[in-house]
Amino acid sequence: MTNLEKYIKAFEETFNITAEQTKGLKYQAISEWDSVGHMSLIAALEDEFDIMIDTDDIIDFSSFEKGKEILSKYDVEIK
Amino acid sequence: MIDYKRSNIKLWSRLGSCGAFGVAASELAQTSDEVLMITSDLCFYSGLNRFKSKYPDRLYNCGIAEQNMVGVAAGLAKEGFVPFATTYATFAAARCADQVRVNMGYMKLNMKLVGLTAGVSVGILGPTHISIEDIAIIRSIPNIIILSPADCTETVKATIAAAKIDAPVYLRLSGPMDNPVVYNEDYEFEIGKAIELKDGGDVSIIATGTMVYNSLKAAEILDEKYSIQAKVIDMHTIKPLDTQTIDKACKNNKLLVTVEEHSKIGGLGSAVAEYLSEKSVRPPQLIIGFCDEYKHAASYDYLIKQYELEPEQIAEKIVLKYKNMKG
Repeated sequence: MTNLEKYIKAFEETFNITAEQTKGLKYQAISEWDSVGHMSLIAALEDEFDIMIDTDDIIDFSSFEKGKEILSKYDVEIK
Repeated sequence: MIDYKRSNIKLWSRLGSCGAFGVAASELAQTSDEVLMITSDLCFYSGLNRFKSKYPDRLYNCGIAEQNMVGVAAGLAKEGFVPFATTYATFAAARCADQVRVNMGYMKLNMKLVGLTAGVSVGILGPTHISIEDIAIIRSIPNIIILSPADCTETVKATIAAAKIDAPVYLRLSGPMDNPVVYNEDYEFEIGKAIELKDGGDVSIIATGTMVYNSLKAAEILDEKYSIQAKVIDMHTIKPLDTQTIDKACKNNKLLVTVEEHSKIGGLGSAVAEYLSEKSVRPPQLIIGFCDEYKHAASYDYLIKQYELEPEQIAEKIVLKYKNMKG
């Protein structure tokens, strides 16, 4: 499984959505991506990629696209 | 169905005990139509935002009127609902003492009072909001079960257990966000049954709430630096007290220590001392908790250090007592 597939899977499983729905998805655009859902997504990504995301980055993680940029700081390239 | 998988345990820890309570509340709403949430203007701080959006007709905000909130919850309990009433621990215990005494103590209504941010996790708001006396107040009222979870996993377990038991419960939630993890996998939680987390033959440490983690760390220090072996027990239920486990902890060890994020007066230490006072043979007891004073407003970590409840400080107190006993 590629990093992109793992990344999409984390969104799918956390928010119970399809891969198609992840495109352009933003924080609070769906009811599942609320504050609890947000922390749940972060925990899932940390687990999947074996990283610890800093608090500032958790706050900055505002969209599906922005998340890719943030993960690159942790040497996780989502392509 | 709550899944106690690693990512969830990490999530609850990040959210803190209030957030973990909110997760458990949403789970309870799915499985029981009777469960309701009542709050005194602390929907967000109770971790109930998701509950509110999912179940808007099952959450009542009574505004900043805590005594009224307890009355409303009591009325709903009388009608057969299982209400959880949430507010800061100090308001739950001190401000609402009379309503709690009559409705929970005397009438034994099946309601659950949730004391948020017990101890000093909202220390920055100062002595009006910190809670160092709530266990002492509630413990003196008959018939109320007191639960004090060690971490966020146990907060989820305790919330679910509180809903299931047909009795008044005070659920004491302590610790800040990023609450350290004590339980990193699923385990058996039973009201009134303490959990031995670590064995040791010199000292028995009975801890509750956030101090369970600090006591485990203190036990490591005792072992590494002083070759003192400490047993560590999570006393998640302060009332009724698990006296069998206390008896076992007293049996072979030379010193009994209690540790709590609460005043040394009237809390877990007092409960254990009251029980042991009936025994003719018992080990000496060291009560570790808040000294009898209010500190100035400050951050959680700063206040824990000021009250000398960091693991190193706990270990030092134990070593001092232990050496004096031998000496």
